[in-house]
Amino acid sequence: MEKIGLTTTIPVEVIYAAGMVPVDLNNVFINHHNPQGLVEEAELAGYPRNICSWIKGMYSTVMQNDDIGTVIAVTQGDCSNTHALMETLLLAGVRVIPFAFPFDRDYDLLKLQIEKLMEALGVSWQQVKDAQKRLNKVRQRVWELDRLTWQQNKISGWDNHLYQVSCSDFNGDPELFGQQLDEYLAKVPDMPEIETQIRIGYMGVPPIMDDLYHYLEERGARVVYNETQRQFTMPFNTDDLVEQYRLYSYPYGIFYRLEDVQQQIKLRRLDGIIHYAQSFCYRQIEDMIVRQRLDVPILTLEGDKPNKLDARTRMRLDAFIEMLR
Amino acid sequence: MFAGIDLGSRNVKVALMDEKERLSLHKFDTVAFYRQHGRLEDGQLVVDLAGLGLGAIELKSLVSTGYGRQTINLKDAKNIPEIKAHVTGAVYLTGLKDFTLLDLGGQDSKVVKISKGRMMDFETNDRCAASTGRYLENMAAVLDIDMEELSRHYEDPVDLTSTCAIFGETELIGKVVEGYSTAQLAAGVNYTIFKRVKPMLIKLASPTIVFTGGVAQNRALLEIIRQELDVEVIVPENPQYVGSIGCAVTALKEV
Ligand code: SF4
Repeated sequence: MEKIGLTTTIPVEVIYAAGMVPVDLNNVFINHHNPQGLVEEAELAGYPRNICSWIKGMYSTVMQNDDIGTVIAVTQGDCSNTHALMETLLLAGVRVIPFAFPFDRDYDLLKLQIEKLMEALGVSWQQVKDAQKRLNKVRQRVWELDRLTWQQNKISGWDNHLYQVSCSDFNGDPELFGQQLDEYLAKVPDMPEIETQIRIGYMGVPPIMDDLYHYLEERGARVVYNETQRQFTMPFNTDDLVEQYRLYSYPYGIFYRLEDVQQQIKLRRLDGIIHYAQSFCYRQIEDMIVRQRLDVPILTLEGDKPNKLDARTRMRLDAFIEMLR
Repeated sequence: MFAGIDLGSRNVKVALMDEKERLSLHKFDTVAFYRQHGRLEDGQLVVDLAGLGLGAIELKSLVSTGYGRQTINLKDAKNIPEIKAHVTGAVYLTGLKDFTLLDLGGQDSKVVKISKGRMMDFETNDRCAASTGRYLENMAAVLDIDMEELSRHYEDPVDLTSTCAIFGETELIGKVVEGYSTAQLAAGVNYTIFKRVKPMLIKLASPTIVFTGGVAQNRALLEIIRQELDVEVIVPENPQYVGSIGCAVTALKEV
């Protein structure tokens, strides 16, 4: 089956409808045995130092995987750097299909974008709806995992992150992913309680360093809400595919995203929010708005390279946890 | 005796406190401290306190903080987060409960908002040492003056724009060539520190700023902050020991 790369979550139903395998390039990059090596490879190819590492990682991921001949690039609603990423990929002979989330969440425009994608991959609405049903079966179980995360003390923030973030492409095999999920969920009742007093919400793009969740738990705080990752699971009750991707908050403006965050702060009784911002990302600017609009304590974390938490970040996390105690 | 140790990046500060809360303060060069007085035992740092030359002390409890605690745990010590140590120290030394703490150390800058004695929010510098003691030392060396002299000037500063500690030196040399007086150059250097911490101070503003860390000995900077922000600036005695004093206070309280 043909593989097709994604730069972020898009209506993945269309790809499954076409009988293709979606590959979220971010996941492949970050799970590489040497992700920093991929960043450096992109820099050697000419990518500037002061550009977000996710972009560079995605570039090298496509270059290294010859079986990814086509990439769907989100040119609006995500990263402006994706434009240039697309151009360098075109230069390297990769087929690129652009996808744009309309800034104002306009229903008709979004529908048009989805239909253009369907046309490019040669699928009908009926096929897409069938795929949606197929994926929703899996999504519902991930919602359950998320619910258990904040209603019980057993599921770690990392597992919550991992299963939800995987919903951008379902690891290329929804049924297999669903099976692994079921096995995990079956184990939950017997898992030991995680003993932490502090409930943290995480917002922003997924972290580029993978030890954040573990470190927090070691210090007595636990992530019970992963904003973007949860959005990847389409936690909305609608059969209308266009509406589903219109409710999906990540690609739209910060104010719409904050409505979701505010609701979850209350619902999940969060003590504080960690706002993660990637170095050199335009979303860093939005931190101003986040700080003004949310009325819980906020720690803004900046991540740069795929790596472990650095000493300064750990110091900041320690102080934040201490502050929430 | 209760001891607080602040394992800083440049210096290790030790504060000893007795039951009557009398303090004695000691400072060691960080690298020399680890080399001469520390040894590793099962991945923990054991410090030979007797060997520090502090006299005979009977230690009741030991609390540590600082950069070192991220990599090495001090044996038999309770570790507390750095910002907490500084806040505890500043509250203890000033008796204040509502203020903004500005701590400028060897390589770090921190601003913390304290309200009713509790930490409310904080900011730290990231991956850059341009507002710290190290930067001031480098700039003083370029001007061939000592820190004492550097900290005297705040009037009529030259405008320095570089945000990088290293490029800053080049820019400063350029200004020397242009013929500015040492007083103007020194004032310019002090102003660059202010410019860097100003956004943090404004974000976490209070009418009173407690200024600590080694850089708090810079009188010119104190004057600049006072004038530019129209706030009261308080520098406790021995401002560079505030973190270790916070640790000692914690050691005393928790026994
Ligand atoms: S983190 Fe920001 S800069 Fe990086 S790819 Fe995502 S949106 Fe773009």
